Amino acid sequence: MSPRITVDPITRIEGHLRIDVEVNGGAVQDSWSSGQMFRGIEIILKGRDPRDAWLFTQRICGVCTTVHAIASVRAVENALNLEIPINAQYIRNLILCAHALHDHIVHFYQLSALDWVDVVSALKGDPASTAALAESLSPWPGNSRKQFEAVKEKLAGFVQAGQLGIFTNGYWGHPAMKLPPDVNLLAVSHYLQALDAQRKANQVVAILGGKTPNIQNLAVGGVANAINLNNESALNMNKLFMVKDLLDEVAAFVQQVYLIDVCAVGALYADWLKYGAGVTNYLAVPDLPLDTKGTRFDLPGGTIFNKDLAAAKPITSFQDPYFRDNVTECIAHSWYDGDWDKHPYEETTEPKYTDFNPAGKYSWVKSPRFQGKPMQVGPLAQVFVGFATGHEPTKRWTTHALQTAGAVAKAQLSPAVLHGTLGRHLGRAVRAAVISELALQQWQRLAENIGKGDVAIFNPPTFPKGEIQGFGFHEAPRGTLSHWVIIDNGKIKNYQAVVPSTWNAGPRDEKGQKGPYEASLLGNPIADPAKPLEVLRTIHSFDPCLACAIHTLDVEGTELSKVNVFNTCSV
Amino acid sequence: MSEEINEKAREGTLVLGLGNVLMGDDGFGPTVVALLASQYELPEGVSALDAGTPGFDLSPHVAGLAALIIVDTVKLDAPPGTLRLYRLPEIVAHVPVVRASPHEPALQEALLALQFAGQAPAEVLLVGAVPETIDVGPGLSAPLGAAVPHAIREVLLELERLGHPASKRSAPLPANLWWETRVT
Repeated sequence: MSPRITVDPITRIEGHLRIDVEVNGGAVQDSWSSGQMFRGIEIILKGRDPRDAWLFTQRICGVCTTVHAIASVRAVENALNLEIPINAQYIRNLILCAHALHDHIVHFYQLSALDWVDVVSALKGDPASTAALAESLSPWPGNSRKQFEAVKEKLAGFVQAGQLGIFTNGYWGHPAMKLPPDVNLLAVSHYLQALDAQRKANQVVAILGGKTPNIQNLAVGGVANAINLNNESALNMNKLFMVKDLLDEVAAFVQQVYLIDVCAVGALYADWLKYGAGVTNYLAVPDLPLDTKGTRFDLPGGTIFNKDLAAAKPITSFQDPYFRDNVTECIAHSWYDGDWDKHPYEETTEPKYTDFNPAGKYSWVKSPRFQGKPMQVGPLAQVFVGFATGHEPTKRWTTHALQTAGAVAKAQLSPAVLHGTLGRHLGRAVRAAVISELALQQWQRLAENIGKGDVAIFNPPTFPKGEIQGFGFHEAPRGTLSHWVIIDNGKIKNYQAVVPSTWNAGPRDEKGQKGPYEASLLGNPIADPAKPLEVLRTIHSFDPCLACAIHTLDVEGTELSKVNVFNTCSV
Repeated sequence: MSEEINEKAREGTLVLGLGNVLMGDDGFGPTVVALLASQYELPEGVSALDAGTPGFDLSPHVAGLAALIIVDTVKLDAPPGTLRLYRLPEIVAHVPVVRASPHEPALQEALLALQFAGQAPAEVLLVGAVPETIDVGPGLSAPLGAAVPHAIREVLLELERLGHPASKRSAPLPANLWWETRVT
């Protein structure tokens, strides 16, 4: 029997992603993706006021807070056929852009770069040649020799003190680590600068959203940001220009550092271009609405099947039946009662945990399907859809990225190389560059509209007697997110969230079709089964988010002191 | 651009509630923060934040602080409701293992990354409570509900030790515990 590797850090904390792979001849032969925690938001929302649903849904996940809030208000507005003031669209769009920029920067530098970058090797980097390399790729002012000297010295201090801290358990010296020391030094230096860039993006969310994480400014019908250019506590000129300055700084980092680094790292791992494609059906929804109803968008959506970009079909509005009528979820291999395949409006949520059975039920995650097919969602899907439908910024930034990577790899690269593990990273960086540009355009639109004297932010909702239903979608940092709500006499009767990591991490369906995580692992090389770095590379490239619904720290008995709180009830 | 890698002056104190308010006892941290803010006036430079379960996204809220007080649940072999106090070295002692998902609870990771960047808070206290049930649905179990005032007292003692004592409001503000609203 082939050896099986289980990547399952479940011993550390409750509930998250478990990946099982069977390895034969140094490569993955079979794979299973399992969500290890039940998510029961649907149960919590039953009977509640639809106007409050977004407050609850934004707590589904601690990282994707904003995105569940926005999908929820859009779903309820869709059920009511309620348009929202254009200022509210722009303010929401700015928040979504800043959130996405924050998320993409953190994903690359803090959460996945260390799958590719060997921190210890950076100590052998030469600051002068690193600076020369960096300056040949980008005008970024933070690439001086002095900068790299300081980072190298800092890193050396950490290593000498035996304190690698955050980097302690990386796979340093792994045979699959191949970057030259200078590029490792470059990446470590940008790891530090990324901490500042993501903080600036987060500040934009805080200024407009009132609080972060968990924004406070949303409402079914618009936003709660009073606009008054001369009032200290309202959205005023000062705050608007703070937002613009921050977005300018984040855009510079994304375009001159993040995108360039992904191109360079990808080019130096060109042998990885052949791994990780998996499911090559793609789904993205349009976002950044430009009108009150959601029929014109700054970011395009649509579907692609079997890599066929020429046959891409667009999704064109918040009401589009092409999206509404074609989504189902299957529970054939999930820990729920039954084995149905249902539309979200018809779904029930009845948990029924059995054991991990690779031939039967093995995950809490359901298997969403579009016209019965598994779909890959995420930034790469949106980039392909944008490229296929002629979205100018997407085409321009994709071309720029492929040229930059091609210059380092000394090869001519076409968009077809993006189907795979590295392509998901590059797609995310391209999407970040596109959004960094569109965010500033959204800002311009908002400022001009307010300049005309329009300060409307809210259309009050009224709920009819009887039953209505609606869906709301958002192209979140991890891909297509949709919320589906049925409202009866002004109370929630049924609620389903079909989330990006469900599209990607779902198990097989009733026909045995693997989900995108599972399919993407097939054929991945495994140099050392005890250190399955390659599995992490492919899974991390999706930016999985399944584990953030609870937060119990495991500190394992290193207490300073103990406080007994049972003194009043010990008899 | 060299300022990014240099030590910055630390300022501000944050009382941070971590946990998911929709998951039973995991809502302990946010509950403590909401009640603290309703019952006490925090001095200038001290703020309170219910941060939910932000994983690594905690770092922008914590970078550059002088002091951080975290209230959270902890996994420990002790009766539910037991409170334990930890300092920075204990919190980061158990370095992260390989992660399948990059968004696993990441207080340790956030603090370690900030240490490397020279932006970790100078003073850190974790007030940890052992949960009874972490299951779908808002609201604390009886032992955790009983531990709330004790946790608030630990936070107040730490603020005093740091030289920023909070003062009790003559009339408490309504506590923002929206997640405890019952379905009607």
